[in-house]
Amino acid sequence: MTSLELFNAIQNSGFGVFIGKQDRMLWAVAQIAHIAGIILVLAPIVLISLRLFGFGLYQQPLPKLAHESSKLIWLGFGLLVVSGLLIFIPAALHYHSNPVFWIKLYLILAALFIQVTLYRWITKQEKPNPWLARSIAIVTLTLWFGVAFAGRFIGFV
Amino acid sequence: MSVLAFAELLYDSEIGTSLRESLFAFPIVEGIHLIGLALSVGLLFFIDLRLVGLVFRHVPIPQILKQLRPWLLGGFAVTMATGALLFVAGATKLIELPVFLWKLAFIVFAGINAAWFEFKWGRNVQQWGYATTLPTGVLVAAWGSLILWSLVVITGRLIPYLSY
Repeated sequence: MTSLELFNAIQNSGFGVFIGKQDRMLWAVAQIAHIAGIILVLAPIVLISLRLFGFGLYQQPLPKLAHESSKLIWLGFGLLVVSGLLIFIPAALHYHSNPVFWIKLYLILAALFIQVTLYRWITKQEKPNPWLARSIAIVTLTLWFGVAFAGRFIGFV
Repeated sequence: MSVLAFAELLYDSEIGTSLRESLFAFPIVEGIHLIGLALSVGLLFFIDLRLVGLVFRHVPIPQILKQLRPWLLGGFAVTMATGALLFVAGATKLIELPVFLWKLAFIVFAGINAAWFEFKWGRNVQQWGYATTLPTGVLVAAWGSLILWSLVVITGRLIPYLSY
């Protein structure tokens, strides 16, 4: 099965057709949940990055800050997935032909991979190597900002 | 000059026209607006959530206020600057759009709330910031900030859906 056939099946599934028939305001509500989700993901990443750079909350133990804020990150990510699927499913074919959609998808995969590997590893350390901490902060920020940026771009391509 | 005439002037200005007509300028400004939002409203939410006691209870309030303030103010500068550009690009339509005017009103209320907090509580944070129970005024300002900025984001996101 090609990705085009898969996307076609998704859009024309019972659920896809059902969501597609709903009022346009449902889409707007999904978009609001989507922006709430991205703020919940980005704000903790920005905060922890400031800590990794030594620019903010530097007197506080890194693992404790990261542990508490990770709850917000995953709550936000859950919101993003649910609202994102609601936006995507009824218009899957439309997104299939949008190059920025694919860029965003790969950026999400890369950001998630870094999140559960390098980011998780560095934020568990009480005193991480400063340059390593800064490098990982830059990679994490770049990928998640890239996701947000690509997301904003999709509608204009 | 009336507000409408001023909006028209902005809309027809060189910068307004080039933003509208460029393929990439508009989405780039939109993208920066969103990232600015993560810094400004995002970091402010952390302070508000700390004040109401939902996150980082172990972090002293004077510390989080002092250390995050410059970053979130920088974030607001980015958000406001890109927001002004986005407004110029669509000034004539936006100025008559109820949901946009609501957004502006919520920004003004949120700004007044923040200014009141800074003058009344922010300056003498050392006096109340370490207490186990915070002054009611502080809690009101924090909840007000959470609610008002959420409304700003919501009305902002609704603009394209209610603009025709």
